[in-house]
Amino acid sequence: MTRVLLIDDEKVSVQVLSLSLRSDGYDVLTAFSGEEGLEIFDREFPDIVITDVKMPGMDGIEVLKNIKERSRNAEVIIITGHGDAENAIEALKYGASDFINKPVRDESLALALKRAGKNIEMRAKLSAYTENLEKEVAHVTHELRMQSRFLEKLIKISEEGIVATDRELTVIIYNPAAEHILGYPAEKILGQKKIKALFSKELMQKYQAKRHDLQKRKELEHFETHVKDRNGNLIPVRFTGAFLYEQGKIMGSVAFLEDLREIKRLQKELLTSERLCTVGQTVAGMAHGVKNILHGFKGGSYLMEVGFKHNDTEKLKSGWNMIQKNIDHTSELVGDLLTYSKVREPEYKPCRPNDIVEEVCISLQQTAKENNIRIIEDVDPAIEEVAMDGRSIHTILMNLISNAIDACIYEENPGKSLSVMVKTTLEPEQIIRFDVIDNGTGMAPDVQEKIFTSFFSTKGHRGTGLGLLVTRKLIEDHDGTIDVASEPGMGTTFTVKLPFRENRIPLKIECRIR
Amino acid sequence: MSKKVLVVDDDPDVRLFTQTVLEENGYTPVLAKNGEEGEAAVRKDKPDLIVLDVLMPKESGIRLYRNMKTDKKFKNIPIVMLSGIAEKSFLRSQKVLTEFGGDPVPDPEAYLEKPVDGEVLADTIKKILG
Repeated sequence: MTRVLLIDDEKVSVQVLSLSLRSDGYDVLTAFSGEEGLEIFDREFPDIVITDVKMPGMDGIEVLKNIKERSRNAEVIIITGHGDAENAIEALKYGASDFINKPVRDESLALALKRAGKNIEMRAKLSAYTENLEKEVAHVTHELRMQSRFLEKLIKISEEGIVATDRELTVIIYNPAAEHILGYPAEKILGQKKIKALFSKELMQKYQAKRHDLQKRKELEHFETHVKDRNGNLIPVRFTGAFLYEQGKIMGSVAFLEDLREIKRLQKELLTSERLCTVGQTVAGMAHGVKNILHGFKGGSYLMEVGFKHNDTEKLKSGWNMIQKNIDHTSELVGDLLTYSKVREPEYKPCRPNDIVEEVCISLQQTAKENNIRIIEDVDPAIEEVAMDGRSIHTILMNLISNAIDACIYEENPGKSLSVMVKTTLEPEQIIRFDVIDNGTGMAPDVQEKIFTSFFSTKGHRGTGLGLLVTRKLIEDHDGTIDVASEPGMGTTFTVKLPFRENRIPLKIECRIR
Repeated sequence: MSKKVLVVDDDPDVRLFTQTVLEENGYTPVLAKNGEEGEAAVRKDKPDLIVLDVLMPKESGIRLYRNMKTDKKFKNIPIVMLSGIAEKSFLRSQKVLTEFGGDPVPDPEAYLEKPVDGEVLADTIKKILG
């Protein structure tokens, strides 16, 4: 029931009005002065206040002001004298809901009350609506905040480095994992640097080519590559990246980088233990090689004895020669074993890979010529001086090219014109590719399977059986790869890919100077 | 007339060593550098004894041995195996080949595992050729 407070110093008029209001179904409170009216207002919280303007003590305008101070939404109806426009205007100014003239007629009061009642109803609805809306907004905001915080956390704790840009390719997401991989502090990157400050041109091209339409679900490809960190070190990563398009328009780009350093380290550890294990197995296999060497020494000393006995210089010479050859063979075997079982970090020093190819080819030229084998060099002139482990490259090429020559010597088809081709190619992402291609005897699949894995020699007395094991180890220590393709009777191709560093003073040294 | 001994080995140094041992002991050496050449030499030179290596390119000693010992004309030529391969392994390889549908072959007259002293090789040959 709507509660009405009636304030008027004229008691009769209060009585008449309250009677009429009660009969209209209102709950009526009465007061005979402004002060009393406020007191009741504070106590009873009426919905509507009707007050006379002219009262001794606190007048109606004062009552209105006071009530409005207490409750802005209180409905106050002012009763004014006939023609008292001044008070009416003031009353409206202070927020009166309505005013009615004296003498108060029932109809006009009813009308004013009805309007006030509507106002209250409207306001209640509005407030309920607003409250609801506020709740709704608060809820949604909370959800959104939670979600964005959740996403933010996800990106933050992700083990994968995440680097994302806006459509201008300015970096806007660069999580701690990315920071850890690339080394640049986030505050220097976020919102300031373009993506090309982080990734090489080749890598950019590779992933720029991967247009990813957000509307079309498509698996992103990943590939293993290297990124350069702040200090110029090459970090092995598994890279997934794409430029994002929506309705044909670029939206930005995103790249995920999985740090492979730990995995590579573990792989290396595993390889080391595998290798030591192989050395153990090798001892048995190696016995054959050692027996041959010892037999060579026996032969050499027998020849020398005969030489001394008959004073035969020719025999002495060939005996001595045989002993020397087997001394070389022994040191080769010991050297291979040592290289194979030792862990050695490659030394990145300035060198010219093409020159090393030339060097090795020249040193093998004589053997090749004796067996009618042509050595063809095809080096990429784009390869200049780079930082790599020249000693490793030398050993790798020496092993592969002499293997290729042996494969030609073993070829049984006498009509074939035999050749060994050594090719170098500069590949993207700072990789040099070496191909050693022979058209010799080739290998059956079961032989191909064995060549890298354990002590194995197809060369009888000449091989230590460790050449390719050593080669593979040197390549892996250098973060490179080796592949073989071969067909019996057609020949064999070994492909080695080795990463290089730019030939400059490493930053580490610069730091030390500073 | 001194007796002819065929030496089949792919390693030139081993051939030279065995050749010298034979010459020092009054035999006439004939040299071959793989099984194929060895078989041709057997037919041509009709040696009194063969000194045979096992692992060689082209035809191996395993195959040559089998061809000799299953051939009526040659099976009586004594063979001295001289190899880095253990005797056990060589005999096993012959057994496997027999199981794969070949005729059984007798064991070699002598088996010497490298390294071998010149004197031991000479004594072994002398004992067989008498």
